[in-house]
Amino acid sequence: MASAKKQITQLAKQFYKLSFENGVLSADRVSGVLAYIEKHRPAHTLAVLQAYHRLVAAEVARGQAVIEHAGPADQASLDAIAAALSKKYGRPVTATAKRNDALLAGLRVRVGDDVYESSVAGQLAVLGAAV
Amino acid sequence: MSSVLEQIEQQIAQLSTKAVKKNTGHIRTVADGVARIDGLSDVMYNEMVQFPGGVIGIALNLEEDEVGCVVLGDISKLKEGDEVQTTGKLLSVPVGKALLGRAVDALGNPVDGKGPIAATETNPVEKIAPGIIVRKSVSQPLFTGIMAIDSMIPIGRGQRELIIGDRGTGKTTIAIDTIINQAKINKVGLASGDPKFRPVYSIYVAIGQKNSNIVRTIAALEAAGALEYTIIVSAPAADNPANQYLAPYSGAAMGEWFMENGMDALIVYDDLSKHAVAYRQISLILKRPSGREAYPGDVFYLHSRLLERSARLEGKGSLTALPIIETLAGDVSAYIPTNVISITDGQIFLETDLFNQGIRPAVSVGLSVSRVGSAAQIKATKQVGGKLKGELAQFRELAAFAQFGSDLDAKTKAQLERGARIVELFKQPAFNPIPIELQVAVLFAMQKNYFDAIDTKQVVAAANSLKEFFTTRKDALLTEIRTKAALDKDLEAKLQAALEEWKPTFNG
Repeated sequence: MASAKKQITQLAKQFYKLSFENGVLSADRVSGVLAYIEKHRPAHTLAVLQAYHRLVAAEVARGQAVIEHAGPADQASLDAIAAALSKKYGRPVTATAKRNDALLAGLRVRVGDDVYESSVAGQLAVLGAAV
Repeated sequence: MSSVLEQIEQQIAQLSTKAVKKNTGHIRTVADGVARIDGLSDVMYNEMVQFPGGVIGIALNLEEDEVGCVVLGDISKLKEGDEVQTTGKLLSVPVGKALLGRAVDALGNPVDGKGPIAATETNPVEKIAPGIIVRKSVSQPLFTGIMAIDSMIPIGRGQRELIIGDRGTGKTTIAIDTIINQAKINKVGLASGDPKFRPVYSIYVAIGQKNSNIVRTIAALEAAGALEYTIIVSAPAADNPANQYLAPYSGAAMGEWFMENGMDALIVYDDLSKHAVAYRQISLILKRPSGREAYPGDVFYLHSRLLERSARLEGKGSLTALPIIETLAGDVSAYIPTNVISITDGQIFLETDLFNQGIRPAVSVGLSVSRVGSAAQIKATKQVGGKLKGELAQFRELAAFAQFGSDLDAKTKAQLERGARIVELFKQPAFNPIPIELQVAVLFAMQKNYFDAIDTKQVVAAANSLKEFFTTRKDALLTEIRTKAALDKDLEAKLQAALEEWKPTFNG
């Protein structure tokens, strides 16, 4: 059981490495990997695909900033945030806006595992936990 | 109500409007007290993580594609996909005198129903032990109140002395007697107003025990008036293994507060065998490689880093440790016992055979040792008890030999008689620690052969009579022994006179 899990993880990582071109995740390469898996059906195909999906999703999330905002947000602000994050992380980060009125006001920006909280709802949650 | 409003206003004023960065992840699986998390790319080893619903955990396994966290709380509230955040903090527990008299869990939350604890400080649960330069050698005695130990296996403040034996041999009783004795000494010392007196505060860490046992222990401490100087850290068998794993470190953090603030403390870990089992369970669930007896490879480090935190510090206080280990069938060469024996500064070995013979405390004098030795004894005890260990060793040798025949010379017979009387003298009921000055008086009587004329079976009664005589009629003499801590010619003469006064009163 443990060795099967190890095999699955190793195979998924190999596919993940093959999905990069010049250090950037390539849609073509990902398609190529999927085609290979479809054709050759390695052992534990489903588990391998699920592990591969997790790795690719994490990489996509690292290159994408989801900017949740309450109320209107102009494109210039979104672009400025994306540029600042690209500089901070040293890699290209694209911004995606998502309206979330539950924030009340302010922004919440998620890049990969990092969350930058400056919304009113977030501040109130911190206040509530402290009190 | 106005204080509640003030509290909220203070929090609002402190609230920062800057963006706060958090590192997050999502639960992939949760089972057996362990959550495996995707993400948490910035988490550090042993960092506290926050689960939904106020549940906290500790990151113990940092792997390439997931983080394994032990959950310290109600795991039933968690599910796959829940968001987890890092806190940037190590696990800390409340410390300070506010915890005295209270029972808390491994995280420092009160479990005795006496309301919240007004602790103002916290200490990290995991901390690097003091280095070499800041330590001071052990030279102050820690009196257990148990004559067999104080006279032959003396313990000093800052020492680690292991209590080891099979189940039901009186290990916990020795620890509780020591705590009760500290409380008695504290009361007398604080009442005397002596500015040089240093009380000893106690911490009792219960790991993996039955709740009924813990309640009984607390009741015994309360009945003896010792609870007000004691902190109880409770991680019973019903608690999850993560809490049982953390409880000794939490107790050590509480003890370190006393040590760092110039006070002396005693900590009892009851017991480290169950602690090792809890750590084994966590490690196996985290899929760490297992070694001998399925324990993880760092089980030695588990206990060495805990026990090294007990020390005596230069210019500060001390933390004395009494770890307890349970053996199976008296096997001291098993894995965990040998590990802890090699870490500690001595051991008190309790034998089942002695216990069954009625010799209680069932201390095996031959196998027990204190590596600090007489450096932790007052001069008076050395004067009256210095030869006891040797006499008992001779007695044991001769007793085995004497079984084969009855033709013994007078000297051998005398040694056997004397040894048998010493064994009887060291019998002591549970929860009845004897003050050191009274021990000196009793051992002086033994040294001066006052028990030689008394039948062996009457020695216990004679000793009790002697103790009662001194306690009720020679209190001033006992105080003098306690304050001088050494027997000069004058004190010896007074003791001799007192014994001559006592002798006709005992009709043995």
